[in-house]
Amino acid sequence: MNEPQAALSIETVHKSRRAPDGRTVEILCGLSLDAHAAELTAIVGPSGGGKSTLVRLLNRLEEPDGGRILLFGEAIAGLDPLVLRRRIGLVPQKPFMFEGSVLDNLQRPFHLREEPPPAADSETLQSVLALCRLDPELLSRAARSLSLGQQQRVALARSLSTGPEVLLLDEPTSALDRPTADRLAATLREICRSRRLTILMVTHDLRLAGRVADHLAYLEAGVILEEGRPEELLNHPRTEQLRRFLAEPGTSEEEPA
Amino acid sequence: MNARAILDLSLPDLALVYGLILLVAALARLRGIGQERDLLWSSLRMVVQLLAVGYVLHFVFALESAASVLLILAVMTAFSVQAVAGRVKHRMPRFYRIVGSSMLVGCGGATFFFCNAVIGLDPWYDPRYLIPLAGMIIGNSMTGAALAAERLAAEMRERREEVETALCLGATARAASREAVRSAYRAALIPSINAMAAMGLVFLPGMMTGQILSGTEPITAVKYQIAVMCVITGSVAVTSFLILLQGYRAYFTPAHQFREEG
Repeated sequence: MNEPQAALSIETVHKSRRAPDGRTVEILCGLSLDAHAAELTAIVGPSGGGKSTLVRLLNRLEEPDGGRILLFGEAIAGLDPLVLRRRIGLVPQKPFMFEGSVLDNLQRPFHLREEPPPAADSETLQSVLALCRLDPELLSRAARSLSLGQQQRVALARSLSTGPEVLLLDEPTSALDRPTADRLAATLREICRSRRLTILMVTHDLRLAGRVADHLAYLEAGVILEEGRPEELLNHPRTEQLRRFLAEPGTSEEEPA
Repeated sequence: MNARAILDLSLPDLALVYGLILLVAALARLRGIGQERDLLWSSLRMVVQLLAVGYVLHFVFALESAASVLLILAVMTAFSVQAVAGRVKHRMPRFYRIVGSSMLVGCGGATFFFCNAVIGLDPWYDPRYLIPLAGMIIGNSMTGAALAAERLAAEMRERREEVETALCLGATARAASREAVRSAYRAALIPSINAMAAMGLVFLPGMMTGQILSGTEPITAVKYQIAVMCVITGSVAVTSFLILLQGYRAYFTPAHQFREEG
């Protein structure tokens, strides 16, 4: 495979978990996928398919049981996790806002890394605010008083402020209503283009994924069943599983005619 | 310690004062307000238990070998670790090892510092001083240890999202758990801080009162009490600090990953 360079290469990754009843359940069963540099890759699939687990393996919040993951050709298992997590940002499904203002939240990563934080009027912060379509007026507001959509954007800006090479998004729109989700999707598209950032997003929202992704992969039961260009997958699903997923209500939702 | 000879209590004296309990119990029975059974049973237990402890101490104070005194201190520490485990509902990973070593270092250090560097016991293991002082130090540190351990486990559970968000933003395990550790440390120290602030105003501490009753000059007793409070607070602080220092690490892998509990 000497195609465009893969920013992230996931090679036959396995991961099991101990279920509450003591049995071991395999979550990821030899999953392989490439996310190309400066592209937005979306992984869609039903809940419980292993999407969130995969995201946690990619910035080493957890370790896989087998297989390997490469970041620009380098095995992440050999990288210092602290360095790795500076290179790969992760915005979790339910963004956590630290106590304090939006500015405090944006400066938090720098405090946590014991680096001098950028000032409110610095180029770094102003440019991520603009990119994430956050009004600079919000900086002084208490972060926890913001709407969910705004919190999601603050979390995004917080991850971007430190300049990661890859951004991971876990269900970025699951808590948002349709118009808010659409606006966020447009913002993601723009971030990917203007910063030439590699984005890997997992979601069960097929409509969203179809609109924003350059590359789409369908994950069910711990493996990628199909991948390709979004319109290919959506219009000509090859597997029975994807066909069934497409037909489910709530995944492709009432597309306006 | 000079002053007058202590007024010893004779057996008839004791019987007379126990009569007070019997009187109260009889009154309770007469008026039908209850509690007389509990009153009698508890007072009997108190008499038997204290007499037993008295004889044990009588025996212990006569000990002339360092090894046997140290053995007693070790048993006291083991009991206190067990008591902490009983009080803490959610235990951190590696609970016994962490609490045990912290109590040993915190309480042991404070006790020997006080007994040897400060008051200069001769011999250094003189059980008459060492055992009661260690008892007070261990007893107070136990409370601090239980609060620190309980609070840390609760904080780690409640702040899971916060900790993982911090890790995702490039924080070390230490930086990510800083707030949890601070909050647990505060919880552990509050009783000692409050006790020191209220000392002498709200209550007269038992040790000081006891010394005064047994004939010690009040100023001497006060000086002892100040010293003991400092040592106790020091021991509580060091023990809790060591528990939290080892405790937060138990929640992370060396690769700064938050562990599932257990």
